[in-house]
Amino acid sequence: MTNDAKATFTSIKNPDARTKKRNAAEKRFRAYGLLAVAVSVVALLFLLSSIWTKGSGAFYQTYLTVPVTMSAEKLDPKGNRDPDEMKKVTTIGYSKLIAQNLIDQLAVNGLDTSNVSDKNIAKLLSSESAATLRNQVLADPKLVGQTQIFTFLASGRIDGYFKGRVTMESAALDNNTSPAQLVIADEMKNIGILSIKFNWKFLSAPDASELRPEAAGLGVAILGSAYMMLVVLGLALPLGVAASIYLEEFATKNRWTDVIEVNVSNLAAVPSIVFGILGLAIFINIGGLPQSASIVGGLVLTLMTLPTVIISTRASLQAVPPSIRDGALAVGASKMQSVFHHVLPLAMPGIMTGTIIGVARALGETAPLLLIGMVAFVRDFPASPPSGFFDPATALPVQVYQWTQRADPAFTERASGAIIVLLGFLLVLNSVAIFLRSRFERRW
Amino acid sequence: MSLGILILILGFLTLGGFFLGRLRAVSMVDYDARKLHSLPNFYGGMVAIFIALPAFFVLCAWTLLQPVLIEQRVISNIAIVDITEGSNRTLVMADVRRIAEGLDRALALGGLSEQDLLKFDTTQSDANALLATAGVALGGEVQPSVFDAARHYRLTSKSAQLVMFVCVLSVALLGFALAYRRISAQMRARNVVEAVVLWGLVAASMVAILTTVGIIASMLFEAYNFFKMYPILEFFTSPVWNPQFSGGSELGILPLLWGTLYVSFVALVVAVPTGLFAAIYLSEYAGPKLRATAKPAIEILAGIPSIVYGLFALVTIGPMLRDYFARPLGLGDSSSSVITAGLAMGIMLIPFISSLSDDIINAVPQNLRDGSYALGATQSETIRQVVLPAALPGIVGAVLMGASRAIGETMIVVLGAGASAKLSINPFDAMTTITVKIVSQLTGDTEFNSPETLVAFALGLTLFVFTLLLNIAALAIVRKYREQYE
Amino acid sequence: MNNMIFLERNVQVEKNKIAAQGVQVFYGENHALKDVNVDILDKTVTAFIGPSGCGKSTFLRCLNRMNDTIAGCRIVGDIRLDGEDIYEAAVDPVQLRAKVGMVFQKPNPFPKSIYDNVAYGPKIHGLSRSKAELDEIVETSLRRAALWNEVKDRLHAGAIGLSGGQQQRLCIARAIATGPEVLLMDEPCSALDPIATAQVEQLIDELRSRYSVVIVTHSMQQAARVSQRTAFFHMGNLVEYGETGHIFTNPSDPRTESYITGRIG
Repeated sequence: MTNDAKATFTSIKNPDARTKKRNAAEKRFRAYGLLAVAVSVVALLFLLSSIWTKGSGAFYQTYLTVPVTMSAEKLDPKGNRDPDEMKKVTTIGYSKLIAQNLIDQLAVNGLDTSNVSDKNIAKLLSSESAATLRNQVLADPKLVGQTQIFTFLASGRIDGYFKGRVTMESAALDNNTSPAQLVIADEMKNIGILSIKFNWKFLSAPDASELRPEAAGLGVAILGSAYMMLVVLGLALPLGVAASIYLEEFATKNRWTDVIEVNVSNLAAVPSIVFGILGLAIFINIGGLPQSASIVGGLVLTLMTLPTVIISTRASLQAVPPSIRDGALAVGASKMQSVFHHVLPLAMPGIMTGTIIGVARALGETAPLLLIGMVAFVRDFPASPPSGFFDPATALPVQVYQWTQRADPAFTERASGAIIVLLGFLLVLNSVAIFLRSRFERRW
Repeated sequence: MSLGILILILGFLTLGGFFLGRLRAVSMVDYDARKLHSLPNFYGGMVAIFIALPAFFVLCAWTLLQPVLIEQRVISNIAIVDITEGSNRTLVMADVRRIAEGLDRALALGGLSEQDLLKFDTTQSDANALLATAGVALGGEVQPSVFDAARHYRLTSKSAQLVMFVCVLSVALLGFALAYRRISAQMRARNVVEAVVLWGLVAASMVAILTTVGIIASMLFEAYNFFKMYPILEFFTSPVWNPQFSGGSELGILPLLWGTLYVSFVALVVAVPTGLFAAIYLSEYAGPKLRATAKPAIEILAGIPSIVYGLFALVTIGPMLRDYFARPLGLGDSSSSVITAGLAMGIMLIPFISSLSDDIINAVPQNLRDGSYALGATQSETIRQVVLPAALPGIVGAVLMGASRAIGETMIVVLGAGASAKLSINPFDAMTTITVKIVSQLTGDTEFNSPETLVAFALGLTLFVFTLLLNIAALAIVRKYREQYE
Repeated sequence: MNNMIFLERNVQVEKNKIAAQGVQVFYGENHALKDVNVDILDKTVTAFIGPSGCGKSTFLRCLNRMNDTIAGCRIVGDIRLDGEDIYEAAVDPVQLRAKVGMVFQKPNPFPKSIYDNVAYGPKIHGLSRSKAELDEIVETSLRRAALWNEVKDRLHAGAIGLSGGQQQRLCIARAIATGPEVLLMDEPCSALDPIATAQVEQLIDELRSRYSVVIVTHSMQQAARVSQRTAFFHMGNLVEYGETGHIFTNPSDPRTESYITGRIG
């Protein structure tokens, strides 16, 4: 030790060797920390950019502009413009009509289609186009006999060509397209028959079959998710707030309330798939509710969100100082009036924030919904509430999952695009929550 | 008379009762509300509650019990002999219900009148054809007794519905009368209303308990059914998972458990050092600007749903690892693998570990750090030798909770880890987990009461118990640690 | 004032250990310490007294650069330890703090064993070359802190289990173990009961033969009991500095007299 009778002088200037080593170790440690932060941020950016590059294409789609003469002899043989009669003409008839019109248009514009068969020219169009036209004509029979310019979806492979998924090399090996067709598609683009436009239908159209990725949309999924979020908000918020008020303000601290509290915190950590099992066993098997219905999904997600709402509501209630309650009681309010008139309004911002965050989490859940039957292909929009809650539906994350299970790589683009939409909704929800918190939350 | 109309009528009655009750209370004191014990609205509210609540309970109970009771009566009327091979009571009952619905629709379409239906004789006319016009398809010929049962079902349901209607409304009116009579100036309406509200609050908090009970009960019940069909010992010890559609499956949990633990291990190896060091840097070293940008960025990772990570694993991480690591090293050829899912899951868990660690590190009192600095320790020495050891129980708790989340995670492994059940060490192999199989067995084509489907409940029960034990252990450790400082 | 005990030990070395000139401290906009000039003598107990918030703890923390850990704290002036400016760029605070130890108001033993608490400083500074040497340092420090006899049988027990007074003496032992030349003590007895206080005060008196001790205290009586020099701080200024006896019987500044007689503070 340096501190004995012989006072040796140790300078504090100029670090000695050991201190230098320690400072070097300090720098290394700091660097590890910074590296960890950097890794996390880079991972986030990598994830987001990967999703964006893969999915942004879903918002643009290739369309063909074709003037179609809706000849009466093909579409309305009986000539009486009766939709019920005209229904007998199937989509095959319509697709032949459109194909013929397209071929005519190409000829008019001077494109050389000699090395492509008529059938393959027709394949440039999406098979969805015939159904679209048929629906329009049946809805408005006066169209028969007229010539109108329609915008149809191009087929999935053509769309993929313009997005880089399909190349001349891969087209040579592909059953569904050929390099010659791609050449024609290029020429059509140059003339203006073919264009790439923003695809609003991605958000509004229902899902399409495996063969028509170009027509697949999120309409049903968004509506289903919206229904489920309504159910969650309508059930989890009142139940959660009511339970929290009881636990926090009225319950005596005895074993029973301890049990409830332990229960709530355990439920908050239970894997979401277990809630799916619960939903299947109780709501569907015992309760007899229809499979894949939004109400069942909403109930399952409510049970999942309830612990989160309870925990955040309790925290908000605890943050309100006891002096507020005392003040209310002192003027003669009952316990319940003090809670509902004074404490609850003050805790409301925190409660809303917690609920919105809970709803955002529920919006992204997939596993429990798969178990209650949302694996089917749902093409019809659910009806309006209240009966619409019992119609089969799907949800955004479930739609993403279903699209990943399909073979056509165009569905990867659709799935990534759907995730962009999902993340967009989550961004909005979380921003609202953050806004509420910063604007209205009090610091006591 | 539909349910909707009944509820509407009840609603109007409740509203009417509210106003009448309030009016009566106020009129009793010559319109001077100060003389009343409670505010006038409480008197109205009391009447409204007495109308609505008992009627609502009767309505719920009736709606739940009615189908069960009617079906029991109807089914007992169907002779055993008429139950064709390959079906059972439940299926027959389903047919009865569908026929009844079809008859309703046929009547609605106008093709049939109630008289015709009563006189309808299955021996003469073709029931199938009739039902087909109403859009009901049946598997085989409609047995006469089944058709009769359907008719009986219709009629009984309709009359039961009527009786329920009458009962519910009379209970509502009875409630009104009881409450209305009790109104007086001294009557403590507010206390009555508040007592009811309190019971409502208690009921709400029971939902948490009910949920847990429901989870355990439902899984136990079906798992019990499963273990009746498949030996429990084999389930827990067999290293082979091979469900067959036609029966004779081997359903051992060990390969699934191995896959689960392996993927979770990889995820924790990624998440714990990164999350911990990020938390240390952000709470001890970072300046306010970096903290303000990096912390929210890491929190964003936490808000991203797991399906996004799953897709990321499937389309980006998987192919990358396969092309740059697995194939060149000859370790595997699949883009779905343990390391793919583990990596994606690890990234997902980083913010979880980071924010928990951050809380724990900040909970270590500042005076411990001061004591260490005053002795001439550098910041890293203080963190390594004073702060982290003090925070260790909390960090262990955080790791356990992270493990619990990793084990229970589904979508990332569904999309990223593959579906083949294997006991392999190679992280580039596709290995499936418990959660993936729960999904695949419950959404597959096998019949519900077969062991291949019911095994999912046994798997779910195992998963639930496992994660529950981890959570309890984590909470116990963290609680014990907090006591040190309080 | 009759019940104050004046210590009349011989002050052996009158060398200047720490010389402070024109020291000012700013916490952001707040001018917490204004123009302090004081000389801390070696082998002496110097007491800083004054009412709450007068800046005495702030100045104490300047002496071992603990104020560096506070964001927004700015120090102007000259503080020299053995003639070397401690705020010079070439100085590593780590080495400074090995020379200038500190004991805090609330005892803050690490949640480790008693042995590990005391051994922590010597370990990180590499002061011992073997386990035997480390054991010796630990024992010496504990003896000098008057704690050895009470804990020698349970050196590996947790330090948190000690009583308040024992914990504070442990902190003193821990500070001594790095072989400092100056000991700074920030109200070391304010969290202790009277018996523990008396023990620590006795200890301070023994420590003065080896170290230069600076003690911040709220209690005038304590200052009078243990110190040879006293500095009176008031509202960020060093009002008066001199021999303890002189300050308490015949203060030069009227503010000092007001504080001593209890009119302010």
